[in-house]
Amino acid sequence: MKSRMPTIDLRINGANKKLETKANVLLLDLIRDKANVKSVKAGCWRGECGLCTVFLDGRPVKSCLVLGVEANGREVTTAEGLAQEGQLSRLQKLFVEKAAMQCGFCTPSFVLAAQYLLTQNPNPTEREIREFLSGHICRCGTYKQMIEAILEYAKEMREEQEIPAPPPPKKVKKKNERQR
Amino acid sequence: MSFGSPYLTLPDFQYIRPATLQEALQFLDEHGEDAKVMAGGVGLIAFMKERLVSPSYVIDIKGIPELKSMQNGSNGMTIGASVPMSDLLDWRPLQERYKALHDCVSLLSDPVLRNRSTLLGDLCEALPFVDSPAPLLIFDAEVEAASVKGKRNIPVKDFIKGLAETALEPNEIAIAIHLKPPPENSKSSFLKHTSNSEFSIVNVAALVANAFRPEEREVRFAYGAIAPTPTRVYEVEAPFKRKAPSSQLIDEAVATIKKKAEPMTDILAKAEYRLHMLEVLALEALTQLLGA
Repeated sequence: MKSRMPTIDLRINGANKKLETKANVLLLDLIRDKANVKSVKAGCWRGECGLCTVFLDGRPVKSCLVLGVEANGREVTTAEGLAQEGQLSRLQKLFVEKAAMQCGFCTPSFVLAAQYLLTQNPNPTEREIREFLSGHICRCGTYKQMIEAILEYAKEMREEQEIPAPPPPKKVKKKNERQR
Repeated sequence: MSFGSPYLTLPDFQYIRPATLQEALQFLDEHGEDAKVMAGGVGLIAFMKERLVSPSYVIDIKGIPELKSMQNGSNGMTIGASVPMSDLLDWRPLQERYKALHDCVSLLSDPVLRNRSTLLGDLCEALPFVDSPAPLLIFDAEVEAASVKGKRNIPVKDFIKGLAETALEPNEIAIAIHLKPPPENSKSSFLKHTSNSEFSIVNVAALVANAFRPEEREVRFAYGAIAPTPTRVYEVEAPFKRKAPSSQLIDEAVATIKKKAEPMTDILAKAEYRLHMLEVLALEALTQLLGA
C-alpha cells in the first residue's frame, strides 16, 4: 500500500511514460497537460458529454471521472492511438468521407466509442449504435452522418468476412393498449 | 489546469490502493470519517468536484481481488463491490433470473459510464433518485458489510436510512450484495419515469410468480425516488394469495401502493406528479406481469 504516488508509469498510445502527478489530478488533465495528448477534450467535467473518453486497458471510460493515479501500470489509448503509423484507421477515414463532423471537437470521442462498439458488436443495428452512443454529445448534431459512417464500416467488414447483414429493424409495436 | 473553480478540480487527498480487504479495513478503521471508499468513483469524484465531500484519504478498492467476484447458484446471486455495471449486463444469469435488476442497470447512465460505475456504488449514494433499491428490494437483497471486527449482512430495506445516509458505520465497507433466489416461475420488471435531467422521479419494480396457481402465487412490489427512502409495499402481497388476479384486484393493489406512498416535492418534481406517475407505473408493471 502506497500513501503517496509522486510518479506513475503508464502506456499512452503504445509509448511508455513516467509522469509526475498528485493524487487529485484527473486522468483527463494528466493526459492533456502532462502527456500532452490533446485529442482528449474537456467538456462538462461530470460524465455527461463523453468528450473526454479514452480507452483504459482497452475499455472506454470518461476520463473526467477517473483519477490519474488509477492509470498507474495501465494502458491508455486515445484517438491518436487508433491511427497506426500516422495513417488514419478505416473508421476514422469513413468519418471524414461521410462528413461525420462539423467543428470536429467531439469527433475523437465518437470515433473511440464507435471503435469499441464495433469490436464488441461488429454488426450493430442503427438502434444499437444510437443506444451505445447515448453518453456522447455532438453539439453540431452530425449524429446522422456518424451513424452512416459506423454502418458503412460494419458493411465493409461484413463484405470482407462474408457475414450476413443484421435483420431489418422490427416495426415498433405500439405500446400495448391496456385491455381492461 | 486549474481555474480555482469547483467542478474542474478535486480537493487535496491521499490515494490509497490496498491489495487486500484486511489492509483496506484496517486503514478505514484508523481513519474512518477522514476516508472515503471508492469503487468506480463516478459518484465520489463528482461529489468531490462539487466539494460535497473532501476526504483526506481515498481508498480505491478495485485492487482487492475478492470484491470483483460474481457468483450465481442455488442460494442466489452475489455481486462484488467493484464489479462494473457493464460486466453485470453481459452476465446471462442476471438477465435470466433477475430481469428487473438487469433492466434497471441497462437504463442507468450510459454504456461508457457503466464501464466504471458499480451497483453497490449506486446504492451507497443513497440519494432519492437512485434506481437500484427498488429491484433489490423485490429480490430480498442484503448488503454485506465488513469491518475489522467482522462481517454482517444488512437487508436493503434497512440499508438506506435517509437522504445520502446508509446503515454503514464509518469503519465499514460494503463489500458485496447478495440476492435471494427468485421464486420459481417468476417474472419481474422495472420501470422508471425521469425528469428532463434524466434523474428518476419515480421508479418501480415488480415480481410475479406462478400467476395462475393460487397456492404458489406470489406478487412483490417496491418503489423508489418518491421519497428519500425506497419502499417495499408488503401490503399488496396477501390479497393476491387469496384471489385470482383480475383488473379489479390490480386496481386495489395500486390503491394500496398509492395510500402507502409519502411523495416529496423537490427540484425534480412535485409530490402530486410523483404520486400520479407512481399510479401509472404501478398499474403498467402489475398489468404486464399478471397479464390481466
